[in-house]
Amino acid sequence: MVVYRRSLRTLVLGLAVVAAPACKKKVETAAAPPDTTTAMAPAPVPFAVQGVEVGKQIGVDKRVTAASTTFGPKDTIYASVATDGAAPSKTIAAKWTFGAGKLVKTDSQTIAPTGPAATEFHITKPSGWPVGKYKVEISVDGNAAGSKEFEVKK
Amino acid sequence: MPGPNDPDFSDVESGSSSTAPPAAGVQTYTVVKGDSLSKIAKHFYGNAGQWKKIYEANKDVIKNPDLIYPGQTFRIPDA
Repeated sequence: MVVYRRSLRTLVLGLAVVAAPACKKKVETAAAPPDTTTAMAPAPVPFAVQGVEVGKQIGVDKRVTAASTTFGPKDTIYASVATDGAAPSKTIAAKWTFGAGKLVKTDSQTIAPTGPAATEFHITKPSGWPVGKYKVEISVDGNAAGSKEFEVKK
Repeated sequence: MPGPNDPDFSDVESGSSSTAPPAAGVQTYTVVKGDSLSKIAKHFYGNAGQWKKIYEANKDVIKNPDLIYPGQTFRIPDA
C-alpha cells in the first residue's frame, strides 16, 4: 500500500513537471504584445503626377471625359493632370506651345493636395486656332512632369 | 503683323482649376463680367489701389491690366 501511494505521488509530481512547461508556454502566448502592424496608418504617399490627358471636355472631377488629340479651330482645349499623394504646396504649371515651340500660353495652380486629385488647364482662342501641331508641357515646382501633343485641323 | 508662319496668340484665354484645395496663403479668383483689377483688389484687400499686387502675381495671364476677361483665374496674393 505504501509502495502504491509513493508511486501515485511520483506519478502526480511527474505529471506536474511535464505539464508546467506547457502551462508556461500558454501564459507566454497570452502575454505576447498584440500585433499592431495591421492597425498602423499607411505610410503617406509621396506626391507624383499619374498622367496627363487632353480633350474637349472635362467632368466635375476635373478629368477629361473623352481624350482626344485632334481639335477644331473653335474648340476649347483641356489638359487634365492626375496626381496622387499629399503635399503642403505644389505648383503645377502648363505651358502650351505651337509648332516648333512658339509660346501660346502658360498657366499654373498652387495646390495643397491630400490624396488623389486632378488639376485642369484650358485654353480658348475666340478668333480660332491656327491649324497645326501643338504641345502642352506640365511641370511641378519647375520640374518637367509630362507632356502631350495634339493637332488642330480644319 | 504676324505672317502665316508666325501666328498671333495674343487673344488666347486660359484658366485652370483643381479638385485639390489651394495651398495656404494662395487664393484664386475667377473673373466675371464687369470685373476689373481694381474691383477685385477692393473685394480682397478693401483697397482698389492694391490692384497692382494682383497684376504682378498674374503677369503670365494678364497682358494688359485694363483688359481682363470673364473666365480668367487669378492668384490672389496675401494682403
